[in-house]
Amino acid sequence: MPNKLFPGKSTTWNRRQLLQWGLMGVGTAGAAAVGLQTFVSRSSSAVRVPPIPPSDSLSDRGLQPMTVLRDFDYGTVRKENGRTIREFRITARNTTIQLNRAVAFNTWNFNNRIPGPTLRAKQGDFVRVVFLNQGGHSHSMHFHGIHTAQEDGVRPIRHGAATIYEFEAKPYGVHLYHCHAEPVTRHIGKGLYGMFIIDPPQGRPPADEMVLVMGGFDVNEDRKNELYAFNGLPDYYHMHPIPVYQNQLIRLYLLNTIEFDPVVTFHIHANFFKVYPTGMTLNPSHESDVITLGTAERHILEFAYPYTGKYMFHPHQDAIAEAGCMGYFDVINPA
Amino acid sequence: MLRKLLNERSSLYRDFWFWSFNRRTRAIARFLLLSFSAAMLAIVVSCTQQTPNTSNNPSPAPATNTSAASPNTNHQQHGGKEQININTAILSELDKFEAMLGVPALSNKIQASRPYANPEELVSKNVVTQEQFDKIKDMVTVEDVVLTGEAKDVDYMSKLGLMKGHLIVAKELLDKQLPKQAEPHIGHPVEEIYVDVEDQLEERNVKEFKTTLIGLQDLIKSQPKSDKIQADFSSSMQAVDGAIAALPENERSSPAFNLQVINELLDAANSEYGAAIANGKISAAIEYQDSRGFVIYANNLYQKIAEPMAKENPEPHKVIETSMNELAKAWPSPVPPAKPVNTPDEVTQLVKAIEQNSQKVISKSNPSA
Repeated sequence: MPNKLFPGKSTTWNRRQLLQWGLMGVGTAGAAAVGLQTFVSRSSSAVRVPPIPPSDSLSDRGLQPMTVLRDFDYGTVRKENGRTIREFRITARNTTIQLNRAVAFNTWNFNNRIPGPTLRAKQGDFVRVVFLNQGGHSHSMHFHGIHTAQEDGVRPIRHGAATIYEFEAKPYGVHLYHCHAEPVTRHIGKGLYGMFIIDPPQGRPPADEMVLVMGGFDVNEDRKNELYAFNGLPDYYHMHPIPVYQNQLIRLYLLNTIEFDPVVTFHIHANFFKVYPTGMTLNPSHESDVITLGTAERHILEFAYPYTGKYMFHPHQDAIAEAGCMGYFDVINPA
Repeated sequence: MLRKLLNERSSLYRDFWFWSFNRRTRAIARFLLLSFSAAMLAIVVSCTQQTPNTSNNPSPAPATNTSAASPNTNHQQHGGKEQININTAILSELDKFEAMLGVPALSNKIQASRPYANPEELVSKNVVTQEQFDKIKDMVTVEDVVLTGEAKDVDYMSKLGLMKGHLIVAKELLDKQLPKQAEPHIGHPVEEIYVDVEDQLEERNVKEFKTTLIGLQDLIKSQPKSDKIQADFSSSMQAVDGAIAALPENERSSPAFNLQVINELLDAANSEYGAAIANGKISAAIEYQDSRGFVIYANNLYQKIAEPMAKENPEPHKVIETSMNELAKAWPSPVPPAKPVNTPDEVTQLVKAIEQNSQKVISKSNPSA
């Protein structure tokens, strides 16, 4: 589904939306309210996103990280018995991608992408995921969140069969889903994971929102990763920096799905970010330029770059950065 | 119950558990709460009205409201009629619809258009017309159904067949002194499949053999050269054979029954073969080996029914036998060849040919189809 918020061009928020945000800021007690007001006035009432440079065509390497970055799937919205249902359709398949010039890799994936679609709902929405397995092996979709055992997605769905997962979206935060067929290391390592964002009822202030999922690839099945990537392709944002505007608030939804290495950090250069742990708060807990994430840990980070130029981001386990988990923000002047 | 309901009202996470859309609990809830429902609904409505309205939130939500889709509320039929889950049913079950409507190849069409969020999608996805749907809708569901009769046995046997395939290829690799390569194939039966037959084993008075499988896997992982592996392997294989022997003899010798299982195995083999090949090379040995095991076991099963097939269904037999022989050539050895013998497309075509000819035999023998 195309991103309705940031359709690949500079998007200006309309005044009414911002007024609503402003009012909400007043309603929120404490420092956040002040911060929000400051932000709204400072950012001169607009979220601006640079035009997204064209990704490599799918046939080149099999994935399009630049598209994945700001692509949010809100599902098909239905009203049933007065309640909002968001229906998502996911198919597990196998496709080959070119991790680099030398390494072709048989991925297992959701909807032909790694990470799978970034599914997004608001807390209290009803989520219905219609899942088809065309992957050969048995697969499943296990969502993080609060739901019944029946909807926990640990039961393997055999090849050719479909199933439906239904649950209420709660609690708000940045979560994930992944295949839970065993060995989970292999099913996740092959690419069966994605982000699941539940927005708080009151929303969050406008920002240039983006998704980065860190993943590892065990290319030779030795239970160690040889290559790593942000959003599926090693070194993609290293070679194709992510353009962002100077002074624009960036909201980064960050997830670590690297198997075998128990923990990695995430570091941005020449700046500090505010941390919203697991995305489950409306106020930041602290600021840092390095944050530690075990496998499946995730956070929302917010920051803005005061100066133009190219700035690296990477795990500070530098061997992992050198093996593909490396990228740049290209901070440009919006004028 | 009412107190819980009122507590829920102030809860941050409003959880309408009692009128939840959860399809599995809905039917039960409906019976239990039928007499309460009106009163409860009234309370729910008032709850909803009292919660702060957040619908004018700028958080974006492209509202492509599809009014045509009818809510999932009216498809529990308790009239005693057997229901078929169109998301999971195997071809021979779907043949019941094919027979009722007289539409050739409808079963394949239903499978090909998966997944279905609700039964009505058979119409919106142009699988059947509204008129045809009305004739079968009492039997169509997307909810989990408890399989019965032959379908249940085919499902059970297919899963055990996949286990056999994994173990067959594991044995080949063990015999070649490649325990490391054998290990995942001993893991797969218990990791991917066992959980799906566990309930049935008890029902069919088959002794659990998860412990045996896990024991073997542990042994190979930590002592790949142990003398005990051979013996442990034999007990694992015997355990699966024992579980298969719990099926009635008339099914185990029936061509139609075995063909259904064979096609399930070949379908999985086909998909795994495709997943093994990247850029014209076999790059995922595990998937190559999985598919080899499935095809070998499918061949074993076919050998058992080849004689009656040749007698009673000479035409389909000829095609199936030839295709099976051709198919086997794609897996010349347990360790993959440098270059694939067949492309995934060629394998798919052979699998399809076997499937089409099997269907002729299966529908002939199945009075309801």
